[in-house]
Amino acid sequence: MAPIAVGDVIPDGTLAYFDAEDQLQSVSIHSLVAGKRAVLFAVPGAFTPTCSLKHVPGFVEKSPELKSKGVQEVICISVNDPFVMKAWAKTFPENEHVKFLADGSGVYTKALGLELDLSEKGLGIRSKRFALLVDDLKVTVANIEAGGEFTVSSAEDILKALV
Amino acid sequence: MTAATASTAAFATARLIGSSASKLKPPSTFLSFRGNLGSSFPMRISSIRWARFSTVPKISATISVGDKLPDATLSYFDAADDLQTITISEITANKKTILFAVPGAFTPTCSQKHLPGFVEKAADLKAKGIDTIACISVNDAFVMKAWKEDLKIGDEVLLLSDGNGHFTKAIGCELDLSDKPVGLGVRSSRYAMLVEDGVIKILNLEEGGAFNVSSAEDLLNAI
Repeated sequence: MAPIAVGDVIPDGTLAYFDAEDQLQSVSIHSLVAGKRAVLFAVPGAFTPTCSLKHVPGFVEKSPELKSKGVQEVICISVNDPFVMKAWAKTFPENEHVKFLADGSGVYTKALGLELDLSEKGLGIRSKRFALLVDDLKVTVANIEAGGEFTVSSAEDILKALV
Repeated sequence: MTAATASTAAFATARLIGSSASKLKPPSTFLSFRGNLGSSFPMRISSIRWARFSTVPKISATISVGDKLPDATLSYFDAADDLQTITISEITANKKTILFAVPGAFTPTCSQKHLPGFVEKAADLKAKGIDTIACISVNDAFVMKAWKEDLKIGDEVLLLSDGNGHFTKAIGCELDLSDKPVGLGVRSSRYAMLVEDGVIKILNLEEGGAFNVSSAEDLLNAI
């Protein structure tokens, strides 16, 4: 699949998560963000350094500001299973708005055309790091890293684009 | 997917997410061979299924008691937080090693029973001559490290990542949990084995993620 780009409509897909009652739920991306302004950002791996120490904390910290600029959903996606995503989300107790969704088999990541092959590091196929601003399913900002580096996909970069 | 595999996967998934379906615990007969049998035919275990499942799923692996384990490279983060690799032959050569596998880090049975059981019995197992106890999962090393910290495990059990599933595949213990909604991909079925100088002496295989024969107590009783 060609990588998602500005002007595209994001594909639909099913992601999984554990809800507040610890029940496994699945949700369609379209049902979550249709008609809304949303940020979708992805990390190569739960519990990995940059993801845990910079990328996610940035969005946790800036999500109130993003909300004040009309962003209604801030979604973090990773090719990890929902058990791992749940455990990882717990390590950000101050988080109020970011939803952690599991793309366990990488199907949605593939639909976005944003796979990252990290088999050599024993991580299999993961997602590139990216942050998308989506308005009623249409991509208005696409900040996609080449791999796992962290240069354009932070919360601040999205905030700048919202000015 | 064959009916047998589908029912095994469904059962395994139910066990993993602790749904009400998992209360249907199948009675299973199992045999755990001691080393001196030295047989090389594959071990087949039939288990009686309740109610809905009409087929008899089989537990299989491409290894059996008496075999030398294939070599493979696993990874882990050491005490200094550096990524290290270790091979199966390094863990098992000239040693008595227990290797047990779980379908997934942070999943209920693995986190609440299987791994803690081995941590608890580690001293007893070592008193019986075991040199190393290692837990293997098809998860990456970052996740294994986080899981180890979450369960506050020290040196008792080594948590090893079979990140690409190569070792799991080499011994024929893959468990396909790719079905939605859980999305776990291909993992390892649960097992526990005693290995002496690289040769399997005891092999307790589970059907998928079931937890009937692969506990620390089961191995302690068998040694």
